[in-house]
Amino acid sequence: MVEFLQFTLSGIAFGMIYAAVALSLVLIWRGTRLLNFAQGGMAMFTTYVGIEVIYRTGSYWTGFVTALAAGLVLGVVCQLTVIRPTVNKPPLNAVIVTIGLLILIEGLAGIFFGGQYRSFPTAFSQVGLRIGGTPLGVSRYDVFVAAAVLVVTLALAAAFRYTSAGLRMRAAAFNATIARLSGIRVARVLTVGWALAGLLGALAGVLVSPSTFLYPNSMDTIFVYGFTAAVIGGLDSPLGAVVGGLLLGLALSYSGGYLHNGSNLVPVVALVILVVVLMVRPDGLFSTTQVRRV
Amino acid sequence: MTMQTLPRRLGLAVVTAVIVWFLSVRLDTFRDFQIAQVAVYVTAVAGLTVLTGLSGQISLGNGAFMAIGAYTTALLLLHLNWPFIAALVASAAATAVAGGIVGVAAARLRGPYLAGVTLLLGVALPSLAFAYQGVFGADQGLNVTFTTPAFLGATFPLTRWQAWVSTVVALVTLILLANLCYSRIGRNWRAVRDDEVAAALDGVNVAVTRILAFVVSAVCAGLAGSLLAIVTSLVAPGAYTLTLSIALLTAAVIGGLGSLPGALWGSLLIVLLPTYVTDVATSHGLSSSVGSNIPIAAYGAVLILVVLVFPQGIQGGLRQLLTLFTGPDPKTRISRDASAPHVTPQADEAPASQHEKEGSS
Amino acid sequence: MSSAAAEQDASPALAVEELVAGYGGVIALDGVSIVAGTAVITAVLGANGAGKTTLLRAISGMIRPRRGRILLAGTDLVGRGPEQIVRAGIAHVPEGQGVIPELTVEENLRVGMMSWPSVLSRERPSRAERTAALDEAYQRFRPLAERRRKLASTLSGGERQMLVIARALLARPRVLLLDEPSLGLAPRVMAQVMDLVVQLSREQGLTIVLVEQNARSALAIADHGVVLNLGRVVASADAATLAADVALRHHYLGF
Repeated sequence: MVEFLQFTLSGIAFGMIYAAVALSLVLIWRGTRLLNFAQGGMAMFTTYVGIEVIYRTGSYWTGFVTALAAGLVLGVVCQLTVIRPTVNKPPLNAVIVTIGLLILIEGLAGIFFGGQYRSFPTAFSQVGLRIGGTPLGVSRYDVFVAAAVLVVTLALAAAFRYTSAGLRMRAAAFNATIARLSGIRVARVLTVGWALAGLLGALAGVLVSPSTFLYPNSMDTIFVYGFTAAVIGGLDSPLGAVVGGLLLGLALSYSGGYLHNGSNLVPVVALVILVVVLMVRPDGLFSTTQVRRV
Repeated sequence: MTMQTLPRRLGLAVVTAVIVWFLSVRLDTFRDFQIAQVAVYVTAVAGLTVLTGLSGQISLGNGAFMAIGAYTTALLLLHLNWPFIAALVASAAATAVAGGIVGVAAARLRGPYLAGVTLLLGVALPSLAFAYQGVFGADQGLNVTFTTPAFLGATFPLTRWQAWVSTVVALVTLILLANLCYSRIGRNWRAVRDDEVAAALDGVNVAVTRILAFVVSAVCAGLAGSLLAIVTSLVAPGAYTLTLSIALLTAAVIGGLGSLPGALWGSLLIVLLPTYVTDVATSHGLSSSVGSNIPIAAYGAVLILVVLVFPQGIQGGLRQLLTLFTGPDPKTRISRDASAPHVTPQADEAPASQHEKEGSS
Repeated sequence: MSSAAAEQDASPALAVEELVAGYGGVIALDGVSIVAGTAVITAVLGANGAGKTTLLRAISGMIRPRRGRILLAGTDLVGRGPEQIVRAGIAHVPEGQGVIPELTVEENLRVGMMSWPSVLSRERPSRAERTAALDEAYQRFRPLAERRRKLASTLSGGERQMLVIARALLARPRVLLLDEPSLGLAPRVMAQVMDLVVQLSREQGLTIVLVEQNARSALAIADHGVVLNLGRVVASADAATLAADVALRHHYLGF
């Protein structure tokens, strides 16, 4: 029973990280029908920026905020330079461009920051919490992770629903033509979308790096699972991203814990879940749009 | 350079074989090893370029198929002492089955959903090597013994033999692929890639066509993996990570997506460039971590440039150079025109907003 | 204001000169010239594929013409995107579903105000102004007021048409481009829409360019008519003259 609780809580903690990555992918997908394969790489890069700031200033929170700001900036830069030219071309081009961007960013990280594994500090203790002597399987830090993602997600959701800027983004995502005819500068909206996605990715990177160490490829697996979560939830559904992230986090945590040889089979479990979901609902669980079929 | 008839293809293959033979005899062991590496990559990249360029399906998991081929060969050589050629065929069969399964599972998936499944496949499959360590040898992997045949004599360098074997397999693969690409199957692939609905109305079985493309590309990857097993004498999961799958795609795109000669250019680049660049970097005093990352950053930049500026890749560039000398040639091109004409309004139309919702045009 | 009035008589609200436009390899407009007088309803008629929709798209900036000029009170708008053209004073209500079904009625209307000066600019309209504009829209279009918080997907065909027109009006245009506003509507609702169009022209002085498949009802309310065929203008006269020309009607307009 205690084990179950531990796996559940740890699954939720990781699930929130996947949800953050999934959300950033959904943000970009809804605006541009583009899958940003570089999202993990961008997150890794901004985390490096964060850690450098932490080393130099000695303050975790300064580094934290700088990393998030770097995420905003990196998102804007990538969209303006590399992504905009792919806008009216076949979708395969955009996929390959983002893969190229990923490789470029990972190479640059290796050049600027070196390839060795770095440990990333935390502001909260990573010691497991206990309730009356029983270990819960999560630490104060894990609670912080879940809370941070939750707060940011809710803030974004509120901004989307209640602000004029949010309405602009939704309108542009639902129908770019009508949006433009109504005066919405869709190109600018897309850039903002990339900035926000960069922010979310940066958040995920900073939150997960204490557990995984930081190195140029450290966000690859997180990205893959975040991507899986987004696809499971439906690429155009932010709610689906969060639900998908949590479900995946829990499923992977349970299988890692309970299956024989579980920790090595985790990616296989993820693959099976993905295939099963897509066979039943090829557009994801919460998707509302139908991809044209033959 | 139209490869439209079998004799011409065979002729070109023979010429290439002779060139390779010549090089393998004149150059040192390391170069022989690189020739073998190029041949391995060509085999895998050719299959991928056909899958993505001709049939329009992206796969980020062909490294996993290479792993299947490699482990199959290693196990058969190690435990059952099969001759290599038999192991090669068995690997092809195993990956054909795997490719068929993946193809069926992915038949209804498009674009990013397909990319996602293949991505996860590329990550998940190698992890099985850790899950079942007894069979697959976990981190250290399996050792493969491969020796030169007796008739070549005792002093014949192993690397040269490896280079020969790999080259032969690569050339045979290329010839078979070329035949496929110009056959009705190849036409079906292109038809489904360009417009599924129209192809279906024309009587093409879209699902079977797509699955077939997957099987073909998987088999090519399996053969490549099998070759890699005997060339590196070791099969370990570290060699078949996501990085490999991405390297294959990079080679295919830079060489020219959908083009078989492009597979060669891309493979040459992938094999020869890193060592060259790293050598240059370290000779200029840059640390090895910087030096080894420069090629990586360069690949990324080149990949972006190719897509944005030279969508036809190296092969396209060569073709354009050729037409400068010989004038435009109305030949059938099997490579895809990445900036295919759209029917949607031009210029400053809003960004890709193909929301396929009910009724809206 | 008399000099402004004189100006209005001098240059038409909207003038299209020798416009050439198309898609990819297909030319849809082959040198079209049209004049839309101020506060006048100009009907653009013709069979399917004649180029009517392309004309509106070119005017509103959705597609870029290859040659020709589009003059709004004398200023050439060619080369500007839709976001700028709506700010210049031309609102386009495109054919088909112009509502955004995932947004509520009120949100759809607010989208219509997105061309107003932004909160960061000097002439930013106050919140009161925006609310007043919305209230005005709800006054004129009562059914929308009743459904303001509902999703636009729950509206009937006629109500949706009302919504898109209301949204376009919120942009405070001088010129309104309407593409097949009566498409798919029941005859009674169609009549209501047509009445609305007349009202907008007479009472508000809006210049209206009306593309209609249903030439008969269009000519009934229009002041001026232009007939397109295969991307060219084959007739341009006041509505009564066109309606009386039986041969023309049979040949190009289907009645």
